[in-house]
Amino acid sequence: MYCRKHLKLNKMNKIRKTNLFIIGGLLSLGVVFMAADHIDAPAVVGTTADITDLYAFEGADPDNTVFVANVQGLLAPGSSASFDENVLVEINIDNDGDLVEDLVIQAIPRDGIMYFFGPYAPSQTGLNSTIDEDTQYLGQVVISSGSSATTSEANGISYFAGLREDPFFFDSSQFNAIIGGMASGGFNNPGNDDFDGTNVLSIVVEVPNSLLGGTFSHPAGTGVEVFNTWAEAKRKQ
Amino acid sequence: MKLNNLKNIFVALTIVIGLTSCSSDDDAIVIDPPVVVDFSGTFSQEDQMGRPGINTVFSATPDIENSFNVTIPSQQGAAFQSLFETQLAGLHGAFGVSYENNILGLDITTLTTVLASDVLQVAPGAPTTYFDGTNVLTGRTLTDDVIDVSLILLFGGQNGDRFNGQDLDGDGTPDLPILVTDGVSGSGETPSSTFPYLETPHGS
Repeated sequence: MYCRKHLKLNKMNKIRKTNLFIIGGLLSLGVVFMAADHIDAPAVVGTTADITDLYAFEGADPDNTVFVANVQGLLAPGSSASFDENVLVEINIDNDGDLVEDLVIQAIPRDGIMYFFGPYAPSQTGLNSTIDEDTQYLGQVVISSGSSATTSEANGISYFAGLREDPFFFDSSQFNAIIGGMASGGFNNPGNDDFDGTNVLSIVVEVPNSLLGGTFSHPAGTGVEVFNTWAEAKRKQ
Repeated sequence: MKLNNLKNIFVALTIVIGLTSCSSDDDAIVIDPPVVVDFSGTFSQEDQMGRPGINTVFSATPDIENSFNVTIPSQQGAAFQSLFETQLAGLHGAFGVSYENNILGLDITTLTTVLASDVLQVAPGAPTTYFDGTNVLTGRTLTDDVIDVSLILLFGGQNGDRFNGQDLDGDGTPDLPILVTDGVSGSGETPSSTFPYLETPHGS
């Protein structure tokens, strides 16, 4: 049977997170540039509920949309970080543009397996969620920890969960220098990708568009039909 | 699939077939107690994101950052737009200039209004990209240079090339620092074209 790896934040992770919270002399405005959503707020820094990135793009099958929700970034190679069984990762979908979720896709691990629910209309929206485990379970996948990716497919949806290379790229060191008032020239050309060589815990689901509900006209006025999406990390109370 | 099936799978997985090593002459099947996978309870929000970097960029204090993560998107505009506008104006003011309408023609209030509601638009029937030169904010791929796109929208002005280290007055020093690109491209990222798309982890 699966042996759950113990959870340990690596040292590099902590150092990076600390660096990004150095409030620099520039303007006394605090953290003003960007580091995607890695380590974006003190309350989630270094926790298992820190969402680093959300991606959403057309799948290899153009009738599908792929959602990638990453958590616990800046993992050094060899890190034994693992998903937290008390943290529910929820992908929210708004089909009418009112910024309230109409559908959710929920993922939560149990004993080395990631379980997936939905997309379905939740019984309640907002900051608190429950899992409709009796009727909305749709699939599961063994969590991958090494180079090979264990995937599964059920009900037309493809599933993956596990350690991956972090696709995010950014010169966060120069960012720190700029907000620290130590880089009057701004960024360098070329810059240095501080996320190169780091890993992240990924949840990937590829969902037929037919399961994702309706669309509305893009709020920026481009006329493209879209839905809104965002990811949430929610801890069991 | 109902959860009962799921539970049955779990029970099956916990069946351990082994040899007895003591008194019995026969092989035995040892069955662990049935395992029920428990998903009960209420889960309360700690973090959220739609577009990359919004909270990090615009929230000026740790308290605002924490608050932003537990404010539902439909309330984010009212709660944070004016704070974000002040932040963006202050960043420009630090370099002695004012915000210029960006390449999308958005003034500072409109831009911060759009960005304060931290959700990602996704087009199921059009090319999905953060910005590819033609399509804008229709998704986010694994190789989209979201940092540069964001910097250009915030600092690039109407042509997208403001804050690019130009020396317009020819005095030998840049008039404005380079803030429209971090000088890092996605060329080092080589995601797969098939599921699950992300690259194998380093060190595995």
